[in-house]
Amino acid sequence: MKAKKSWLVMLVLALVLGVLAACTGNKEPASSENEGASEKDPVTGGTVVGAMDTAPTGLFNPIFYTEAYESNVLSFTHEGLLTQDKNLDFIPNLAKEWTFNDDQTEVTFKLDENAKWHDGEPFTANDVVFTYKTIASPGYVEAGGVRTQYVERLVGYEEFSTGKTTDFQGVVAVDDHTVTFKFAQPNVLALSDASFMIIPEHIFKDIPVAEIPEAGASRNPGEVIGTGPFQFSEMVQGEQYVLKKFADYWQGEPKLDSVIWKVVDQAVILGLLENGEIDFVADPNGFQAADYETVDALENVEIVEQPDFGYQTMGLMHNHRSKEDSEAGTINPANWTVNEKLKDQKVRQAIAYAINRQGLVDGLLYGRGIVQNSPIATQFWAYDDTTPNQYEFDPEKAKALLDEAGYKDVNGDGFREDPNGKEWVLNLNYPLGNQIRERSAPIIEEFLEEVGISIDLRQPKEAAAYFEDLEKNSQDWDLYLIGWSLDSTDPDPSGLWSSMAGYNYSRWNNPEADQLLKDAFTPPDAFEQDYRKQKYSEWQVEFGEDLPSVILYAANSLWAHNKRLQGIDVLPYSFLNDTHLWHVTE
Amino acid sequence: MYKYIIRRLLIFIPMLFVLTIFVFGLIQAAPGDPITGKNFDPNIDPEVFERQKEALGLNDPIHVQYWNWVTKVMQGDFGESYIFKGRDVSELIGERIGNTFYLGIFTLFITIIVSIPIGIYSAKKPYSILDYGATTFGFFGLAVPNFFFGLVAIYVFSIKLGWLPSQGSVSSPGLTGIELFLDKLQHLILPGLTLGLAGTASYMRFMRSEVLDVLASDYIRTARAKGMTNRSVLYKHTLRNAMIPIITLLGFEVGILLSGAVITEGVFQYPGIGTLFLSSIGNRDYPVIMAINLMLGFFILLGNLLADIFYSIVDPRIRYD
Repeated sequence: MKAKKSWLVMLVLALVLGVLAACTGNKEPASSENEGASEKDPVTGGTVVGAMDTAPTGLFNPIFYTEAYESNVLSFTHEGLLTQDKNLDFIPNLAKEWTFNDDQTEVTFKLDENAKWHDGEPFTANDVVFTYKTIASPGYVEAGGVRTQYVERLVGYEEFSTGKTTDFQGVVAVDDHTVTFKFAQPNVLALSDASFMIIPEHIFKDIPVAEIPEAGASRNPGEVIGTGPFQFSEMVQGEQYVLKKFADYWQGEPKLDSVIWKVVDQAVILGLLENGEIDFVADPNGFQAADYETVDALENVEIVEQPDFGYQTMGLMHNHRSKEDSEAGTINPANWTVNEKLKDQKVRQAIAYAINRQGLVDGLLYGRGIVQNSPIATQFWAYDDTTPNQYEFDPEKAKALLDEAGYKDVNGDGFREDPNGKEWVLNLNYPLGNQIRERSAPIIEEFLEEVGISIDLRQPKEAAAYFEDLEKNSQDWDLYLIGWSLDSTDPDPSGLWSSMAGYNYSRWNNPEADQLLKDAFTPPDAFEQDYRKQKYSEWQVEFGEDLPSVILYAANSLWAHNKRLQGIDVLPYSFLNDTHLWHVTE
Repeated sequence: MYKYIIRRLLIFIPMLFVLTIFVFGLIQAAPGDPITGKNFDPNIDPEVFERQKEALGLNDPIHVQYWNWVTKVMQGDFGESYIFKGRDVSELIGERIGNTFYLGIFTLFITIIVSIPIGIYSAKKPYSILDYGATTFGFFGLAVPNFFFGLVAIYVFSIKLGWLPSQGSVSSPGLTGIELFLDKLQHLILPGLTLGLAGTASYMRFMRSEVLDVLASDYIRTARAKGMTNRSVLYKHTLRNAMIPIITLLGFEVGILLSGAVITEGVFQYPGIGTLFLSSIGNRDYPVIMAINLMLGFFILLGNLLADIFYSIVDPRIRYD
């Protein structure tokens, strides 16, 4: 009995010691490296570890991925013909140079002859044709693809995508290193359209479109092939993704040996940054504004802060779409009914004046954000921060406007009634999922009640339910919170705010504004940036007057990296730029 | 006995069938769908999502959808995930079930070896210092939320002391053999202890009160009167009887542990069933929700059956035929 017991104790002890020994064993090489290297000496090779807070779903194919987490991997492995510089202008990438034809319907690219796929095959014009052809193929959307915006302006897209013809004419290979994009009409977005990441024809040519998402070449390490500086070489599904350098990279051999993405809980990111287990954290969520001071105090960590391409906004329902149209997905302004409660422009303006937006930024974002007045990202040339009404916080003005519009408190309950003396309550709807937005809702309620507007703050709903309601059951909604992330390629806001846009949930129908958006897009004038700028400026003024939405704030992107990681050159829209030049100092 | 087990296993089938109908109806009744609100990108035409819903059959009437699902499941095909595009549900679950299983076993192991001896000791010497200590620990363990204990453990043991890894289930791909085993074990320690804490606390309390109850019963008095030693009274007569309710609870525990510990898995980014289940509910990933539900239903039923079988081992009076 005794002997048996001590045997058990020994076993447990041996196990514990073994595990602990293995722990310290892991740590040793790291610490000896630390001691050996003198500070700030750049070294060749090395590994850096990036953190993201959610695992990618695992679809590493540019034409089918949908999430920012996959994009984190694809940014290292795949490239497009063009990329954007710090001013958001298009600059050469896989394409060396390009020329437009006279009527701007065609653009011809000369491709870099040195570019190679990770498996050693040369990169050619046929790969470009293949990529765009696949996106335009019938069945692409049904297979889960969402990037049709890149092909829908190509000549013959309609016929090809519906299967009326098998002859794809939109993108044509002139020779191995020359490719021409042909558009149905002169296209203001030609360069943007041509900037999509390219996939290898020799890998995918025998796989039917519907089967591409499940193919190994779209998911497995070693089989995902791109032209980028790093190749996807190993993974532990849901935990880490290892990218090894591609020595034959056409812009020169990457300095780092590898980059590893680790999936790390948001709550421990800072701790791991501090102890050096992770080297950088960037898109999509970076770190929290509330932690700014803490991160700033870390000696080994540097912060990168810049405005984000997106904003939070409070929509004001101008009109409601009928239940039938909502179910059918039809957008027909003729069938809309006016939202009487918000019909008066003065009322909408009063709402904008009543909200202390700088207060929201200071209080909820710890000042790490900006107040924005129109729905165009502030980084764009098109954003106008002077002509449109800036709606400085002014509750007195809000009250005056409401008085003027006839919304007065006649029964003395502290809240205003509508001009007919009837009860006037605005409901405010908001989704769960973004803590800062959730916290802003009751604060906005207070601001509005301060000027005498009675608010019915509705129970928040989980995102999937909220957006379904917004889409289909919002016939009695007045105010709604929503956040948009924008594309960095072009400032055109018509996808969100033209009357025919599905995402125009305020059902804003303003023919003048629509016309301005159209003008800004219509060649040949629209090829002049100054002209577009002028039109967008006029549109922003109109937006500010008519107020389909009060833009609340744009949070800053807060990224951080260990100082040992050098050669970082962030772009306004991404931390991951010229990664082949990244290197470490120890 | 065998007949009994087979009969019980056969009853599983209609029970699981009813479960699937129930769950399928519930998740379809919940507002939202796998496509709407998922990829909110102003550059993507909402029309695209409409076409995808149509292609996935989400616009079909509910009974048609159920029939499609059930006929496929009968053939062993759980379908493809809507969110993890192009991946089979069985593959998704298969890749995580192992992790959840290891974590569950590890947690159960900790719970049992810690809670039962302490529980017995507390009951043997009630109101002693150790009993008060154990009671205090018990309330502490029950009161501290798992995620909080997890974060504290990460802060102390991973970030400050650097002894144990805090995230994931393995340090790097490409480990094999004994190295892989030890590495996985290290990754289990913190989440296992975190999960084990709450379990230990409650089982310790259960054990204590069961043993106290039994010690107060007549047959124990008789045994003592016969002149049996305290030792054999405790181990021969008391424990067997005190274990019966504990076994029932452990039977349920098996199902619960296999369903994964959502919050703990989240804090440690330990890729198990729990986080997959939670995210698939949030994303309305119907095929994954259904498959996990079916699996959990099965394991909970199985846990119950195992508990019943163990009864008859512990208490020979209980017989099945």
